[in-house]
Amino acid sequence: MFEAFYPQLIGLCTGSLLLTSALMVWRHSLLASIRLLALQGMALAALVAVIGIAEGEPELVLVSLLIFSVKGVGLPWVLAHQSKAAVKQIQESPRLNPTAALLAVTLLTILSYVVVSRVFGLGDSVTGHAAPIGLAMVLIGFLLLISRRRARSQLIGFLMLDNGIATLAFLTSGGVPILLEFAVSLDVLLVVLILHVFAGRMRTKFGGTAVDQLRELHD
Amino acid sequence: MTAIGAELLLQTEIGAGLLPQTAIGAELLLQTEIGAGLLPQTAIGAGLLLQLGLGALAVVSGLMAAPSLRSRAGGILCTLLAVTGLATGLGALLGATGGLLIPIALPMDPLVLAPDRLGGLFMLVVSGVGILVSLYSMSSTRGADASRTAWVAMPVFLVGMQLVPAATDSVSFLLAWEIMTLGSTVLLLADHASRATVASASIWYSAMSQLSFFFILAGFAVLAAASGGTSFTSLQAVEPGSWPANLAFVLLLLGFGGKAELVPLHVWVPRVLPEAPSHVSAAMSGAMVKIGVYGGLLVCVRLLPDGPPWWGIAIMLVGGVSALYGILQASVSSDLKVLLAYSTTENMGLVFLGLGASMLLRGFDATAAADAALVAALLLTISHAAFKSTLFLGAGAIIHATGERNLDRLGGLGARMPVTAAAFGIASLGAAAIPITSGFVAEWMLLQSLIHGGRLDGAVVSVAASVAMPLAVAVIALTAGLALLTFVKAYGIAFLARPRSAAAADAREVPRLMQLALALGALFVLALGLLPGPIAALVAHTVSSNPTTAVQSVGLGGVSLPGIGAVLDPIMLVVLSALVAIPVIVSIIVSARRHPHRTVDLPWGGGGSRARPRMQYTATSYAEPLVRVFDDVLKPSRDVQVTHVAESRYLVERVRVEQRVSDIFETRLYRPVLNLLQRYGIVVRHLANGSIHRYLSYSFVALLIVLIVVSL
Repeated sequence: MFEAFYPQLIGLCTGSLLLTSALMVWRHSLLASIRLLALQGMALAALVAVIGIAEGEPELVLVSLLIFSVKGVGLPWVLAHQSKAAVKQIQESPRLNPTAALLAVTLLTILSYVVVSRVFGLGDSVTGHAAPIGLAMVLIGFLLLISRRRARSQLIGFLMLDNGIATLAFLTSGGVPILLEFAVSLDVLLVVLILHVFAGRMRTKFGGTAVDQLRELHD
Repeated sequence: MTAIGAELLLQTEIGAGLLPQTAIGAELLLQTEIGAGLLPQTAIGAGLLLQLGLGALAVVSGLMAAPSLRSRAGGILCTLLAVTGLATGLGALLGATGGLLIPIALPMDPLVLAPDRLGGLFMLVVSGVGILVSLYSMSSTRGADASRTAWVAMPVFLVGMQLVPAATDSVSFLLAWEIMTLGSTVLLLADHASRATVASASIWYSAMSQLSFFFILAGFAVLAAASGGTSFTSLQAVEPGSWPANLAFVLLLLGFGGKAELVPLHVWVPRVLPEAPSHVSAAMSGAMVKIGVYGGLLVCVRLLPDGPPWWGIAIMLVGGVSALYGILQASVSSDLKVLLAYSTTENMGLVFLGLGASMLLRGFDATAAADAALVAALLLTISHAAFKSTLFLGAGAIIHATGERNLDRLGGLGARMPVTAAAFGIASLGAAAIPITSGFVAEWMLLQSLIHGGRLDGAVVSVAASVAMPLAVAVIALTAGLALLTFVKAYGIAFLARPRSAAAADAREVPRLMQLALALGALFVLALGLLPGPIAALVAHTVSSNPTTAVQSVGLGGVSLPGIGAVLDPIMLVVLSALVAIPVIVSIIVSARRHPHRTVDLPWGGGGSRARPRMQYTATSYAEPLVRVFDDVLKPSRDVQVTHVAESRYLVERVRVEQRVSDIFETRLYRPVLNLLQRYGIVVRHLANGSIHRYLSYSFVALLIVLIVVSL
């Protein structure tokens, strides 16, 4: 029963991962991005849970719960931890227009398929076929990182990059040991907290978090 | 790699310092190879361990001790550290073997500290200077010299210097080298708060020492890649004529030449040695520079012996140019410490001249002359350590007493500071290579080997040698003459005549411990000059395969070079000249007694009664003829400002003359390169303008390029 659904479930999860990534590049509202990030985290947790059930590893299910609580709920909550009204008003004015950005997403996805199939080989397994999605997420996260001006939007790009790495790890090798996963999750949470505080300080000090206006600080 | 290594060494230090009898301490002892050599082997190892332990203890005491006790505690511990180094070095020099093995996890040859005879000799020299410096610095109780930083850095510096000659593999060599550089840089920086020039000097020093380090690292890397190992024994396997050996030779010569203050890598010397506290200058010039010489010997004698002839000629060229340029700059300088710094360049130039000559001659099988030249270079190294550290400590005593190092404002210190004057005078004799001092023996031996080296059994050994040797003799002759002028100036202007400033007039003799250090240094200078035979014979064992035919001790401490047929016996010289001089002196005294002393007041004093201190010769005016003769080389810049009285064109109120001699290597070689780098920096600033987006884009593009390239 489950065996028949398994490829579809994997396809659904990875597809939603890719879709949320592309939507994040498209949408400019911070609130929408945060919601999409929460969705992405949940999709990642679902992916891990599916892999765990298919391979019969209860440990992975535990990991999926951890991912759900950290990436699906915790991090988005920290990012949106401000009055909803204020977050709603924040509109990103990216350095790349939406059409060009979506085109870049397409190219990056194709590139990651080419790279994975040429360098590692897609293999026969279902997860192997889905592996390029992880690399595509890493690249798209990087694209967000360099095309967004606000510190918090960049943070979202960084988190997507981290999600991409996690996806790649789970799809290719069935995940990392739980202790490592736990530590990495905590690390990311800590980084986000620090950056959040930092962005808040920046806003009170300079009146904004547009990173590209900070270059005068050097030297 | 260095950081890991430093940590390892630190572990060793802690192990050695706090729990010598535990497993860590025991593990470090090198396993004995031959049962018979058990005692000396463990003795050397124990000596090295004790040095590390004392060094760690000195660092701790520098950190913890109360300010009033810090100098005493640090000084005593550093002295003990240097004495241990002296004993260990002496043991190794006399042929004892053994050492320390530092186990490491990295895949390379183990780190072994086991000095051979040559290493022992240099350990002896370095720690001898260390004793003088530690004794001297013990009496400084306030200011930057007595600060916590200085007393933490001092033992680090000393330990680093004493470990470099003990290293038997390139990794531990570089490790100890960096410890030494680190200690010296911190010591130099200790006084940065009170003088702005110290900061500039530190930047020059750091940049130049890192440049040296880079060259040495690259040289060892080339050798290691060619031989497949990092220990000196495996590096020896590289064929001397092959291209890796040639490349490594050039790199290592540049690196060690930079540390040994050779032209054109000497630019840090006239900045750093004058700005450092005097005892640190003494340690740098007396000891650290010798480590550069040791590096040169390591390459030319141990790692890559029997190199092609151009190696010897290259070293002779660099040495000769350094000797001439150094002494020229020294002779026209009126700053006492700049003078001493440039004179160091001169002496090291002569040492390398001897080393190069020995390599060249050995290539043509003139073994006796080659050995003599090498022994002469080593003797010059030892004697330079003795007289230059004494001179720098003397300069420190002058600064301590007057606060001045400009010779033009000194004078008359001989009567006010008799002990300093005597020590400085003896060391000056050594630096000017006057008989019965150490410098003379070394230069005499070098000249003998060069004069006799061109011919073997009456036949010319080679065209290259027969051209190079007379030129080298001319260089030595010129430097010897200029050195005499330089040190007559240094001693005469500073200690004789009348004081040229109020500070010099109020000078008092320095504390007892400083006097002790100065007297010890002067004693070394005399001992090396009066008893060259035994010392030269001992030194010959370190570098010659057949020491007894190279150098022998004759008579009362005299030295003979059997291969060349030259003999020098300073004590006999003294006795003979005393036999001649005593009757003359006695007859003068007797005849003077016969006529009573008369005082006649001249009617107008012959001008002498109104002579003022300002009418005396100054250092600048004394050197003026030299500046004029060597005008083309030195390129001095003169500035004369005449202030007139009111409107008058004919009445002059005051004339101000300023003459500056800049270092042509700095202005012609380094400035253009630095300007070029600066321009490059301005261009590159557009690429790195501080925008985080730009930096992220760079890494993104790099990542994409890598991905595309691997998937092609």
